[in-house]
Amino acid sequence: MLPPLRTELAVRLRHRVGALDIDVDFKLRERWTVLFGPSGSGKTTILKAIAGLLRPDEAHIACTVLTGSDLERTLVFVDTETGCFLPAHKRVVRLAPQQAALFPHFSVLENVMYGFQEMVRDEQEEKARDNKIEKLLSDFQITHLVDKYPAALSGGEGQRVNLARAVAATGCRLLMLDEPFSGLDVKLRDELIMNLRERQERRRMPVLSVTHDVAEAFQLGAEVIKIAEGKVVEQGPVEVVLAEERMLLLQQLGNPTSQIRDMGHPI
Amino acid sequence: MDTQALWLTLRLALSTTALLLVIALPMAWWIASGTGAARVLIQAIVALPLVLPPTVLGFYLLVALGPLTAPGRMIIRLLGHPLAFSFSGLVLGSVLYSLPFAVQPLVAGFRAVDTALLEVAATLGAWPLRTFRTITLPLAKPSLVTAAVLTFTHTVGEFGVVLMLGGNIPGATRTLSIALYDQVQDFNYAAANRTAGALLGFSLVTLMVVYWRGAERRPLVG
Repeated sequence: MLPPLRTELAVRLRHRVGALDIDVDFKLRERWTVLFGPSGSGKTTILKAIAGLLRPDEAHIACTVLTGSDLERTLVFVDTETGCFLPAHKRVVRLAPQQAALFPHFSVLENVMYGFQEMVRDEQEEKARDNKIEKLLSDFQITHLVDKYPAALSGGEGQRVNLARAVAATGCRLLMLDEPFSGLDVKLRDELIMNLRERQERRRMPVLSVTHDVAEAFQLGAEVIKIAEGKVVEQGPVEVVLAEERMLLLQQLGNPTSQIRDMGHPI
Repeated sequence: MDTQALWLTLRLALSTTALLLVIALPMAWWIASGTGAARVLIQAIVALPLVLPPTVLGFYLLVALGPLTAPGRMIIRLLGHPLAFSFSGLVLGSVLYSLPFAVQPLVAGFRAVDTALLEVAATLGAWPLRTFRTITLPLAKPSLVTAAVLTFTHTVGEFGVVLMLGGNIPGATRTLSIALYDQVQDFNYAAANRTAGALLGFSLVTLMVVYWRGAERRPLVG
């Protein structure tokens, strides 16, 4: 049995962006939860509301931190009824945005270290810290890039630095990844998922990621919250929630000519 | 060339630039960091010296700092002399007069910084002041230089406020532009020519430096 999570998050959110009405109510119950839905269904807005990057029309978002066996502390991120709004920098929620948004005037190493703050008192601790940083850089396969500047990186490299930067930040309660593996090839994606999993087990923090890729959701074996047009359609294990999408995908894979025939090019 | 006036002008421009950057930085940051009626009002007030005749500003300052108003009387009691017709008074007038030349480039520079970067910094736990110091300010550095150079140049070239507020006291309030005015009044066209030429050359060279930097600037976001 794995040790329980350190953090639980409860989200109740109503917010209007453009023509989209977001109205969701969910709890993070598992270690890895995936927000699944088509583009424009409000996934990124939900992440932003949790991170504190927007002021929602109506919301109650609270995070319960389990500090000991029966000790717990609830931290209200936002409650529009009482007018409570905790600014983003105090929430200790890490968000790797979809667009890498690397600091252009910092090197890759400086970018990754931006949120990393660890005091060292002696040589031994300094060595432990250096090892930690080295492990992080090699996990995300960016060790060879540390001295480069963002302008010199490819899209995939930038995305890895973006993820490493969010993961490296000290004192994370909840890690949120917005389409984290877009632009990365499958092999790299597999390795990154493995590394992220391992870290997560060690730090016992929940991860909330966004995707519209069925294969990725299955690979993560995560709890899935299916979103459509700003509403939660279903929440549950991936095999249940995405069964239909899986069938569709398998059909397409199992019958490679079907698509071509559909397009009106008979072979 | 009136070297006393030259040194006074440079001293005035330097003091004004230093003081104005200290005032303009937080002001521009505040204006750039949101919207609303309060910000619009402050921006309009900051821009006033661009459209008002300098003599209007000079007149109000002259009255406000003199014995006719309560703050003016207080200053006189504190300093032992009125601020008007002194170097410090001149600095105050120049700061107000050059305010838009410092604030406006800074506001534009701060607004041009990608908000996604500021958001990322916040989600990484950086307090607003750290975000400003490590992200906003370095990325807006070119506009900081522009603001400093424009303030300096504008102060060197100011005339109306100085004349109204400072009078024409050699060594205290007689700047190059006032000296030039005097030389013309005295029909000393040879001296006036030298003074005017120096001011023209200086302004042209500084503006060339500003545009040179602008042309060299590479896009930062990759």
